Amino acid sequence: MRVLIVDDEKLARERLRELLTEIGGHTIVGEAMNGNEAVERTTELNPDVLLMDIRMPGMDGLEAAMHLMGLENPPSVIFTTAYDQHALNAFEVNAVDYLLKPIRKDRLAAALDKAHKLTLKQLKQINEAQDSPNARTHISVHLRGNIRLVPIQDVIYFMADSKYVTVRTPAEEHLIEDSLVNLEKEFGEKMFLRIHRNALVATGFIKGIEKSPAGTWQVSLKNTDKKLDVSRRHAASVRRWARG
Amino acid sequence: MESGSKIALSLLGRGIARTRSTLRALRGRIEERLFGAAAEDPAAAPDSGFLPDFCQGWTVFSVAVVAEILAIIIVLVSPQIPFAESRLGNLFLVSLFIQWIALTSAAALCGARRFLNRLSKLRAVALAYLMLLCVTWLVGEAALWALWLAGSIGSPQPEWNAYFHVQNLTVAALINAMALRYFIGRHQLRQRTLSEARAKVQALRSRIRPHFLFNTMNTIAALTRSAPAQAETAIENMADLVRIMLTDDENLVPVGNEIAIARKYLAIESLRLDNRLAVDWDVGKFPRKAVLPVLTLQPLLEHAIQCGVEPAPEGGRITVRLWEADERIHIEVTHPLPRPRRGARTPVPEADETALDNLRQRLETHYGTAAVLETNDEAGRLKVAVTLPTRGEEP
Repeated sequence: MRVLIVDDEKLARERLRELLTEIGGHTIVGEAMNGNEAVERTTELNPDVLLMDIRMPGMDGLEAAMHLMGLENPPSVIFTTAYDQHALNAFEVNAVDYLLKPIRKDRLAAALDKAHKLTLKQLKQINEAQDSPNARTHISVHLRGNIRLVPIQDVIYFMADSKYVTVRTPAEEHLIEDSLVNLEKEFGEKMFLRIHRNALVATGFIKGIEKSPAGTWQVSLKNTDKKLDVSRRHAASVRRWARG
Repeated sequence: MESGSKIALSLLGRGIARTRSTLRALRGRIEERLFGAAAEDPAAAPDSGFLPDFCQGWTVFSVAVVAEILAIIIVLVSPQIPFAESRLGNLFLVSLFIQWIALTSAAALCGARRFLNRLSKLRAVALAYLMLLCVTWLVGEAALWALWLAGSIGSPQPEWNAYFHVQNLTVAALINAMALRYFIGRHQLRQRTLSEARAKVQALRSRIRPHFLFNTMNTIAALTRSAPAQAETAIENMADLVRIMLTDDENLVPVGNEIAIARKYLAIESLRLDNRLAVDWDVGKFPRKAVLPVLTLQPLLEHAIQCGVEPAPEGGRITVRLWEADERIHIEVTHPLPRPRRGARTPVPEADETALDNLRQRLETHYGTAAVLETNDEAGRLKVAVTLPTRGEEP
């Protein structure tokens, strides 16, 4: 199998590399040091399986796996961890493969033999089982078998269409399959403000709130000339936010 | 005849021995009932005596107040004393007498406290009790003589002499028993609070984080193949660190020892974090007597690594400064504050303020208000500064 090793510790990667060589029959296609790199390398190198640490600086293993699940043919993921009490219980419950550090050769071989694909549902349940269910650090945009990671702090607004949600950043626009309700729940009111049934705006990008010639309220934004309508239902909460 | 007396003697001897052992067992049981299980080691804590310090003004005042209350009760419930003119005169005489007994008792306990607290508790209680009864009898006798000298009674040994003493001793026996029971109870409560405080400090001690432990083991497993010598050093360092973390004693140790253990901890972490961890040391001169509680510096470094180095993909630089000035040890550890990512996962869940709060509480139990732990946010770096008295005096 083609294996991608993901761990922030050099010696941990080294050990996996050595164990895999001893087991034989597998090709190590590359290494990554954090979640972002893992997603990039996966689309680049197309491995069959990822051996991925959960706790890493930047994007962690769980989030990286979530982004990967959007691929047409996602790789299998075997998590490695030193100690994560809550996550481990969730792994057991959801039958997700994991290896405890220090990693044993026979366990690693067995895990690779039966490695199976994860589902997004499994990952979400694991995420919720952790101490504090975490928001993602990135939004993943899928483009012809590729994943584009958009840092959440670059998002100006989410705009819902009939089927898709448009993600607007200073430079580009992307389409994702998600719902505003889910996004609002995940990223909370501190970062985003619901101004309309179809619009969720990053509070950091709001320049001002003004009245349009037609007499409705509008939000003007940094980094874009576009103005977004505030619906009557949300006008009160937007003004409350503006007052601080 | 002779053998008969021998048998009788040996029987008697055995009887005495048995009585002795029964008495010993009985004593043990009484002590257990009175003082709880801790009765057996009076040397466990130097100030474990159950008697309060009767040389202290506040204690003497309390004794006087209790004595006065007793005097008022006695005057209210007893008939007029023949040689007192009024109820008020009555109260005056009774107060004088009871205060005399009470204050003399306090003085006696003040003098005998050191001696009594050295004895086993049962002996101390019995001796104190007898002593207080003696004081009562002596003061009663002295009062009769005083009254006789003052001309209030015809003889220093009036016909109600015996009744007078029996009455005094009965009251004293009851009141003293109550007082001693109160002191024992208070002592037990204090001991319990003390051991609870000790347990709390132990709980606050820097513990081995499982994540750190297992990651280190994984690192060592990797090293045993590629660099056995490094693996050996790592195991030795880990053993020293774990040994100190597992000990319950909150000892004060020389600054040098604490720095050594901190360096061992950093050696382990830098194996794991590789070139992501950089540490600058600046250690000043310390007098040989400079001490600090064991595991003061290491938790500061652990906190810095967890909050400043681990969450950042590019790592970070920690600076450590230690110096001594004006009889105080100064410790300063600064670490970078990785830019908080909006919506970021909390990098390491347990790496919040609890580590510093725990250390702060431990320092407080050691030094009271004489130790200070402050955090300062300056230009993207967090500075944690600790100052403590150089010689580690207790509050």
